[in-house]
Amino acid sequence: MAATLTATPDRAQDGAPALRRRSRPHARTRAARMLAATGVLAVLAVLWFSPLLILLSTAVRTAADFAGNGTLSLPHDLTLRNFPAAWETGRFSTTYVNTMLITVVKTPIGVFISALLAYALAKLELRYRRGVMILVFAGQTVPIYIAIVPLFMMERSLGLTDSLWGLLPPYLAFGLPFTTLVLQQYFRWLPDELFEAARMDGAGDLRIFLQFVIPLSLPVLVTVTVLDMVATRNEMLMALIILSSPGHNTLALGMLNFSGTFSTDYTGLSAGILIAVVPILVIYAFLQRWIVGGLTTGAVKG
Amino acid sequence: MATAALARSPRGARRKGWRPWLYAAPALVVYLAFLVYPAARSVLISLTDWNGITPTMDFTGLDNYRRMADDPVLGLAVKNNVAWAVVTILVPMLLGLALALALNSCLVRGRALLRTVFYAPAVLPLVTVATIWGWLYDPSAGAVNGALRAVGLGSLAQSWTGDDAFALWAAMVPAIWVRAGFPLLLYLAALQNIPEDLYESARVDGAGPWQRFRFVTLPALRPTNYVILALSLIESFKVFDLIYALTYGGPGRSTQMLGTWMFFNVFAYYEAGYGAAIAVVTTLVAVLVGIPYVLSQTKD
Repeated sequence: MAATLTATPDRAQDGAPALRRRSRPHARTRAARMLAATGVLAVLAVLWFSPLLILLSTAVRTAADFAGNGTLSLPHDLTLRNFPAAWETGRFSTTYVNTMLITVVKTPIGVFISALLAYALAKLELRYRRGVMILVFAGQTVPIYIAIVPLFMMERSLGLTDSLWGLLPPYLAFGLPFTTLVLQQYFRWLPDELFEAARMDGAGDLRIFLQFVIPLSLPVLVTVTVLDMVATRNEMLMALIILSSPGHNTLALGMLNFSGTFSTDYTGLSAGILIAVVPILVIYAFLQRWIVGGLTTGAVKG
Repeated sequence: MATAALARSPRGARRKGWRPWLYAAPALVVYLAFLVYPAARSVLISLTDWNGITPTMDFTGLDNYRRMADDPVLGLAVKNNVAWAVVTILVPMLLGLALALALNSCLVRGRALLRTVFYAPAVLPLVTVATIWGWLYDPSAGAVNGALRAVGLGSLAQSWTGDDAFALWAAMVPAIWVRAGFPLLLYLAALQNIPEDLYESARVDGAGPWQRFRFVTLPALRPTNYVILALSLIESFKVFDLIYALTYGGPGRSTQMLGTWMFFNVFAYYEAGYGAAIAVVTTLVAVLVGIPYVLSQTKD
C-alpha cells in the first residue's frame, strides 16, 4: 500500500514530456478525483454494511418506537433492554458455550493431524505420495450431504448422537483436505538443507517436525487455525443431523428458525442477531490479517 | 539441489519405508473412516429402497437412478442449481474485480478499512445471513420494502421470499453479499503482484488506460480467475444452509437445490435410497468438475 502511494509522485517527477502538465491545477483535479473515488467507495461500503446498520438501529429502540416510526427511521426511544431479553429467548448461554467447546477442541486436533500428514507429504518420502494427495485434496470437492445418512448411522452405533462430541469426527474429516493442502504447500518451501543438517546431528523425523517445522510455520498455522475455526463455528448441516435436544445446540443450529422464535418481536430479533454476529465481526476485525493472508497464499496456486 | 535429488533417491525411499505412514496415519484414518467410508456407503444405500428408518431394505439396482429422470422437482433443482452457480459465481467475480481495481487505485483512501467492510459478510455463519436477509425481506416490516416505499416505489414491494417468481433471485442476493469478498481479496492480492514496470513500459508504448487494463492487467489475472472459478464451482454444488434457512426450498418447491432436495427426500419423505442417489450423482459431478483443480494442487 505504501509502495503504490509513494510510487505516484515519483512518476510525476520523471519529467517525461507527457507528464509535464502535472502542475498545480493538475494537483487540484487529482485531489478532487481522490475525493470522488473515496466518496463513491465509502457510499458503497455503507450500503454494503447497511443490513447490519439497520439491525443495530432496530435493536437499540423500543418496540413501540419501531412500530410507530418504521424500519428505516432513526431510533428516538433508545433502550438496551432488547439484548438481555434476546439472550434469554435465543438460549445463547447454551449455544455459545457449545460452539466454543467444539471449536476449541476440534480445531487444534484437526490442525495438528493435518500438519503431521502435510509433513509426511511435503518432507518425508511417503510412498504413493501423489495418490494420497489426490485422495485427500479431492475431499474438498465432496459435499457434506452425501455422507450425512451413513454418518448418522455410525454415530448412533457409537452412541454419539445428540452429543456435541458426535460432531468431532466428521468435522475433523471434512476440515482435513483444505488444512492439509495449505500446510503441505507451505512446508514444501522450508529449506531441505536445514533438515539435512539437523539429521546429521542425529535428529529424527519427529524432532525435526517439532523443533523446526512447527516453529518455522507459525504464521501459516495461525492462518489455518483461524480459517478452520470460522468453518467449524459456522457449520450447520451436520449439527442439524446429529444434535436433537435444545440443550446441545450449537450457535449455527440455534439460529435456525430464529425468526420463528421471535415471531413479530423485530427489535428482539435484531438484538438476537447482533448477539450472534457482533463477537464474530470483532474477532474478524482483529484476526483479518491471518484470514486474508491464508486465503491469498493458501488458496492461490495457479 | 543435489541434496534434494539424493534425498529423493530410491535408496532413501526404501530406507524410510513405512515410517512416514506413521505421520500420515492419524489424519488418513479419520478421513477414510468419516468421509470416504460414509460417502461410499451412500452409494450402497442408493441401490436400495431403504426408507431411512426401518432396518429392512431391498436391493433395487439402479431403480433410484432411473427414477431421477422422471422427477420434475429434481429437474427444477438442477435448473435452480445451475442458475445459482452462474449468478453467484459471475456476479461476485465481476463485483470483486471492480472493487479490487478500485481499492488498488492510489486515488482511494482508507483501503484497509474498505476491504474489511466488503469481506465482512463472508465470515458470518450462513444461517445468520439467512436470518438477517429473511428479516430484511419481511413483507411488512422489512427494510427492502421499506426502502422501496420511501423512494416512492411502494408498488414494487413484494413478499420477496414468499413469491415463487422472486424467491430464487431473492436468495441469490445474500449469497452474492457473502461471496463477493473472496474474489475481492484474491484479485487485490494479484493486482498488487503485477510489477509496476509492465504498466510503465505499456505507457511508454503509448497504451491508454483501457489498453493497459486489457493487455497488462487482465492477462496477469488469469491464474486468479481460474482459482476463483474452480473454488466457486466446487462450492456451488454444496449450497444448502442459505436455502434451507431462508426459503426452506419454497415457496412450494420453487427454490429446491440438489442438496436440499436430497435432504427433503431422506428426512421428510423417508426416501433415503432415492436421496442417496441424488447425492451420489451430485458428488460425482462435483468431483469430476473439481479434479483439474485438485490435480493442479498436487504438482510440484
